[in-house]
Amino acid sequence: MVKVVTIVSFVIVSLFADLQKSCLACHEKEQIPSELIYKRYLLKYSTPKNIEEAMLRYLKSPTKTTSIMPPQFFLKFPMKTEIGLDDDTLRVNIELYMKKFDIKKRLYYR
Amino acid sequence: MLFALASWLFYSFTKQHLLDQQKDILLYEASHIKSQLRELHQSHSNRLIYPVAEQIESAIYDLDKRYIFGTLDERVELHSMDDIDKIYAIVDIEPHYLGAAYLLVVKNIDLEPITNLENKTLIFMLIATIFFAVLGYFLGGLFIAPMRESIERMNYFIQDATHELNTPISTILTNIEMIESMDKNLKNTQELKRIEIASKTLSRIYDDLAYLNLNHNYHRHIESIEIGLMVEERIEYFRVLAKAKELKIKLDIEPNIVLDIDKNDALRVCDNLISNAIKYNKVGGQLYIQVTQNTLVVEDSGVGINERDLGFILERFRRANKSEGGFGIGLNIVNHVVRNYGFDLQISSQQNQGTKVVIRW
Repeated sequence: MVKVVTIVSFVIVSLFADLQKSCLACHEKEQIPSELIYKRYLLKYSTPKNIEEAMLRYLKSPTKTTSIMPPQFFLKFPMKTEIGLDDDTLRVNIELYMKKFDIKKRLYYR
Repeated sequence: MLFALASWLFYSFTKQHLLDQQKDILLYEASHIKSQLRELHQSHSNRLIYPVAEQIESAIYDLDKRYIFGTLDERVELHSMDDIDKIYAIVDIEPHYLGAAYLLVVKNIDLEPITNLENKTLIFMLIATIFFAVLGYFLGGLFIAPMRESIERMNYFIQDATHELNTPISTILTNIEMIESMDKNLKNTQELKRIEIASKTLSRIYDDLAYLNLNHNYHRHIESIEIGLMVEERIEYFRVLAKAKELKIKLDIEPNIVLDIDKNDALRVCDNLISNAIKYNKVGGQLYIQVTQNTLVVEDSGVGINERDLGFILERFRRANKSEGGFGIGLNIVNHVVRNYGFDLQISSQQNQGTKVVIRW
């Protein structure tokens, strides 16, 4: 049992490490507001499935038209270059990204 | 009925209005929750406190109508609210703060104003029913007063007439019999026959009036009466009248048909049916009387009764044909006797062809 937990924890940690390496490291370096971007996706697309498709569209072809952010955003922040990852890897990273900023985890009522 | 319908409509509309008012309050609360969701979406806090309104449950759902968060049970689906004790509203959220596309708000119906309305409607209906019943009673009394007075006058007249007719009719009939027995030559004279017909008609009218006068409530002496014999006797009694109209009388009487009945009641039935069949017959017409184990049939080939009058012919003072004299009480008496003994009375008639009366016992 301990082994299983250890292995699962290891897999998750290593996946998040991939996300950190593939995406968030650059976001942090360029001071790109990841949570703000996720909230804009939420505001427009509502469901995880729609958000995932919209993010995938942008990551495969990062332009001002496929981006969720307004054009003025790119005056301050650089346009992303294509990562060159395959669709499956991109989807895994998107899901991890959504999990990281999942708003449900932060909702409570008194 | 109309008043009950109007009350029901008033109750339904007012109840709907009360529910609409409660729904408006719910929608107002929903808009408040919506603005709080916008603030939450813009918040940078790690702990987002979902807005909770007093006495209202709510939940947010994404575009695919999947539950996101709320005070409602996660299993409550967006369009499955069918609890009749609750009112609910679904509000669209655009843009989708926190990913929410729909906000479901639910509230228990405040039953107090509806119960008050029900009580007020019931009390109002009760008071109105009493008011209209009293009003109807007085108005009815006012409207039928002339009719009642007319019937009372007719009854007083009958009472007086009955009282005054008794002695002279008896005197006439007795004296006719005396004249006939004293002088055999006079017996078949036309003049004496006419006097006899007129006095027998008067005598029968007197008997009917006396029967009505007592309101059928006199003491009845039930005895076994052979109805065939009585019919033959009464035919003999009315033979002078029938002869005056040149009627062909056909009797089909089974012997030994015995009925347990008051003699006067039986006489009233036989006399009225036979005298009507003679009175309303055509000159040279037919009169057919049949007595069987269960029926008495009196059929004539006279003027008949039209279909419109047939339904009312058993009412007192109702006469279908006013060409002949009478008070319109004969069939009313027959009907009373028949009902009193639990018999069945059927009258069928065709205008200008004749009338058939059947009594079954």
